[in-house]
Amino acid sequence: MLTKRQNLMETIKGGNPDRFVEQYEFMHFIMEVPGGTFPQPGQTIKNEWGITFKWPEGQIGGFPVHDEEHKVLKDITEWQKYVKAPAVKTSAEAWAPAIEHANSVDRTEEFVTAFVAPGVFEMTHHLMSMEDALMALYEEPEKMHELIDYLTEHELAYAEELINRIHPDCIFHHDDWGSQKSSFISPAMFEEFFLPAYKKIYGYYKANGVELIIHHSDSYAANLVPFMIEMGVDIWQGVMTTNNTPELVKKYGGQLSFMGDIDSGVVDFPAWTPEIAAKEVERACKNCGKLYFIPCQTQGGNWSSFPGVYDAISAAIDKMSKEMF
Amino acid sequence: MSKIEEVKAMVEAGKSKVVPGLVQEALAEGNSADSILQAMIATMGVIGDKFSAGEIFVPEMLVAAKAMAKGVDVLKPHFSADSRPSLGTCVIGTVAGDLHDIGKNLVAMMIESAGFDVVNLGVDVSAAKFVEAVKENKNVTLVACSGLLTTTMPAMKETVQTLKSCGETGFKVIVGGAPVSPEYAASIGADGFAPDAGSAAVKAVELVKG
Repeated sequence: MLTKRQNLMETIKGGNPDRFVEQYEFMHFIMEVPGGTFPQPGQTIKNEWGITFKWPEGQIGGFPVHDEEHKVLKDITEWQKYVKAPAVKTSAEAWAPAIEHANSVDRTEEFVTAFVAPGVFEMTHHLMSMEDALMALYEEPEKMHELIDYLTEHELAYAEELINRIHPDCIFHHDDWGSQKSSFISPAMFEEFFLPAYKKIYGYYKANGVELIIHHSDSYAANLVPFMIEMGVDIWQGVMTTNNTPELVKKYGGQLSFMGDIDSGVVDFPAWTPEIAAKEVERACKNCGKLYFIPCQTQGGNWSSFPGVYDAISAAIDKMSKEMF
Repeated sequence: MSKIEEVKAMVEAGKSKVVPGLVQEALAEGNSADSILQAMIATMGVIGDKFSAGEIFVPEMLVAAKAMAKGVDVLKPHFSADSRPSLGTCVIGTVAGDLHDIGKNLVAMMIESAGFDVVNLGVDVSAAKFVEAVKENKNVTLVACSGLLTTTMPAMKETVQTLKSCGETGFKVIVGGAPVSPEYAASIGADGFAPDAGSAAVKAVELVKG
């Protein structure tokens, strides 16, 4: 039996996996790495960039608050006045728990994985609201290029520290680039503004020993796949069924692998059942096949919003492995 | 190209700095304020259709809506309080417990561009606040409820049912958001459903014009 790591590599290289990769099993997250603050359910917090996040009690996520009082970036033409990147933590104390955890992982079995969020696109709209950020791409393109460069430099400074401290094998990087039906911006605009930033970021990780780049965007983004390949993504996690995943696997398998096709909104909701999860898993596995595809919930992490759903999906994947391998 | 055609082209291109001047020129040429307004509404209909078809993306829709709003500002003094053509007031908000803003704001912009006055209540809006807004604002013909989370669907149902039983009449209720289907919309008593911002404007007009 292949190790989790070997089985993943066989799957994404088009070799001979001996089972389906079971969701996030190959990623060993080192969540102790010093990162940004995010609220817990019921909390409202202000993070290191000054962005206020609110997570309503009983709901399934936190959101940035963008009324005039809370918006950090009030005028893109003066972004330097408003946007101050927090210092990347460099003390031994701050990194000690992450290093200890990373050292305990058997890297022949799993990938030591750093969870990086939010990405550059999300940062632009967290700072100033989605409307302001998207309109600024048209109305103040030079200023947006400057802001994106600034955010990219901060990501690179963080990447340097991350690599030096825990030598990750894998980066799991969040940046949602679309809604469930379309990308937020056109491919041409993405190519102009965000492709260069990600070529730098992912290129830096790859040049410094990171073997796997996994990009999370639980959305439609099929029209951005050529750019994902160009920027060095190995696996797109979060691919929703609206992308026609089987077609993407057929067209781009070998250049990019696809992790998802089990829409979290369909399986992970208050009235969920194991039967619904099993049905979705079976559909995904049968339609997408054994290579260049990892059956997984589209949610960006190895947990579910409602207890039991993640494990039910994993159990259904194991069943499909027995049936199809 | 006539001035009105230029206005339409520049609204579609999202040129908000150019549109006010062109609207002035169109007025100076003798075009009525209403004809210019209708031309811009028609253009935003085209924008909505292109968005629904995946030909354009959110930024293109945002800049077009902003350009139209700048044009409408120039037209406003040319309408008396009662003479400005309007499809009535649309009260819009994201339902209680849900903080998703962008989809709701896009719908608000497109509905405004279709000829409604819009009262945007923001996010995390309780059923009681929706009802209060219906009572407080004049000529409410439409209430639009948005929700992006499976967990806030009960709040959407409660909102629609509270609106329908509040005693106020003369308005229709439209709902939308990722987890909402036409079947779900019908099951909770909504009058209409739209899958995206472009279609929402079309459906809103259809509902109100009957």
